[in-house]
Amino acid sequence: MPAQDVHGRLRRLLFLVPYVAQNPGLPVDEVAKALGVSRDALLEELDLLAMVGRPPFQPDDFVDIYVEDDKVFVDLDQRFSAPPRLTAAEGVALAAAAELLRPAATDALTQALEKLEKVLPDGARERYRQMAKQLDLALEAPQGLAALSQAIVEHREVELDYFTSGRNQTEKRRVQPHELFSHRGQWYLSGHCLSRGDVRLFRLDRIGALELTEQRFEAPVNPKAHAMPSERHGAEQVRVRFNAAAAPYVAERFGSEVQWLEGGTLEVKVLGDSERWLTQWVLSFGEMPGCTSPSGPGGRYRKQQTPSKPLEGLHRAPLNS
Amino acid sequence: MERTERLLDLVALLLDAKEPLTWKQIRAAFPDDYAQGSVEATERKFERDKAELLELGIPIKYTQAAEDVDDGYTLDKDAYYLPKLQLGPDEMAVLYAAGSAALASGAFPGSSDLAHALRKIGFFAGPKPPAPKVRLELGGVAETKDLPARLDALWSAISDRKFIEIDYFSPRQKEVTHRRVDPYGLALRRGLWSLVGYCHLRKGVRTFHVHRVRELTVNTKNPKTPDYQVPKDFALDDYVASFPWQHRFHPRVDVELQLKGHLAALAEKSFPGSPTSGDGKVTVAATDLEGLLRFVLSLGADARVLGPPEAVKRHREMAEAISRLHQGSS
Repeated sequence: MPAQDVHGRLRRLLFLVPYVAQNPGLPVDEVAKALGVSRDALLEELDLLAMVGRPPFQPDDFVDIYVEDDKVFVDLDQRFSAPPRLTAAEGVALAAAAELLRPAATDALTQALEKLEKVLPDGARERYRQMAKQLDLALEAPQGLAALSQAIVEHREVELDYFTSGRNQTEKRRVQPHELFSHRGQWYLSGHCLSRGDVRLFRLDRIGALELTEQRFEAPVNPKAHAMPSERHGAEQVRVRFNAAAAPYVAERFGSEVQWLEGGTLEVKVLGDSERWLTQWVLSFGEMPGCTSPSGPGGRYRKQQTPSKPLEGLHRAPLNS
Repeated sequence: MERTERLLDLVALLLDAKEPLTWKQIRAAFPDDYAQGSVEATERKFERDKAELLELGIPIKYTQAAEDVDDGYTLDKDAYYLPKLQLGPDEMAVLYAAGSAALASGAFPGSSDLAHALRKIGFFAGPKPPAPKVRLELGGVAETKDLPARLDALWSAISDRKFIEIDYFSPRQKEVTHRRVDPYGLALRRGLWSLVGYCHLRKGVRTFHVHRVRELTVNTKNPKTPDYQVPKDFALDDYVASFPWQHRFHPRVDVELQLKGHLAALAEKSFPGSPTSGDGKVTVAATDLEGLLRFVLSLGADARVLGPPEAVKRHREMAEAISRLHQGSS
């Protein structure tokens, strides 16, 4: 093991002994998993611990940790009955991660963070406050995450107003929420939509009014996997060409999916199931893109998907203003 | 004796001691480690060990001699042991959900610190606390294989206040520049990580997208000595744009917008933090007018720019240019 890893190793071992004392007889694999190391690495650590003790190293002075029937035990060791407190860096990492759900549980989160700060060692508190200013995840989570995470934990059905861009209207939906996730900077709820009778994805920024009902549901053991927003089946793909000015920005988002063309321009394929979205997306590049063109079956996108219609409307608006 | 082993022995020895341990006693306890070689060299070795333990939050103190005790080292047990956090189930759930989601995303700075923090808060909580299923995708770019290592390296440079050298790619200039930067902090906005720091090339505080950093080295000289100070009044939020109109490209312009149709009701959601009047009028403080106008264009024909005149003019130019670009493509 490399010398610079002393820090990481020490930290792990000071946790390992109390952890085993707290949970005696856990299988080796489970302890390894809890510590985030491989089975072999754990067994190596246990070998090292067998040599650790208090000088002058009488038999009773050693940490007595051992494996029996593939389970890990430790003879109660008062010295290592609890792990050390959180370091400043650990506190900051946790607090910053918690910010990701900030609007989700304002009270719970604020209280949790207060308690967290209290258990930092005296010397670490100042450092914690300083470092907390250096990791900022503010505003990442949208409104609605709060109620939805509560609904997921409590298995409660929700009623929501959902804006469908395809139909350009808001509809009432009743949903059994399964999971929240963010993808390409966008938050989604995956859940069983009772109004549609199938597992659906909902974009959080299109959810209007939201209400938790008292109706509980049985959480599916293996919720049906939802398709990622970018890989829905059946939808036709549209090729979008970008000029050289826009190309580098598009390339970093799409990576190997882009097709480079002459003169530093490039093309990407995107889902063509929402004309509105496509138009918005292309327009968000301002003057930069080239043009959209259809691919795949059916030339009907040629007319619709090239933003002629929306653009005409758009064109009018600023000219009149 | 291996260093990890020695340090653990030292902790065990100090945790057991009822009275301060003198340097003489410590030397006697570790004859191979602290009693060989010159006095200065072994003292330095002990100091390095002590520093390592302090960094792990292990409160070793030196106490002066008093009436009936010699001077020596103690480990404050109350300050050492993690006490029960008394977290309620909902508090635990939110910390756990956020922490594990951030870890699973693979793109979180200080990931090993976070993993340890989660283990520690879970120590008294039994096997698995209830947490909502939350998955996060941080980083928001296609090529993420270097991102986790970059973020961890940056986070440790920030913690130790060591300068970094980067090769930075600018998509605007389409060129790579080599820069020395004092990293002040990391911020996540809309799934993308930004680094803010003092750029020695541009002689000012600059914001960098972490995914545009091509090469990164952290100054390894004098690892325990900070290379710079972060200004006292520094706030990341002053430098990182949450929305396309917040990049600090020019002095602030207050742009008045009119949203119509279904957009009117979405005014607050579309421009968070901007003052709105009930009838779909929004006033947006823009420090990147181009960014704002591109966003307004993307909202479609129901979003109009009312003022100031230069914003209206530029909006019209952009729309006309787009219209020309797309002519003949239908």
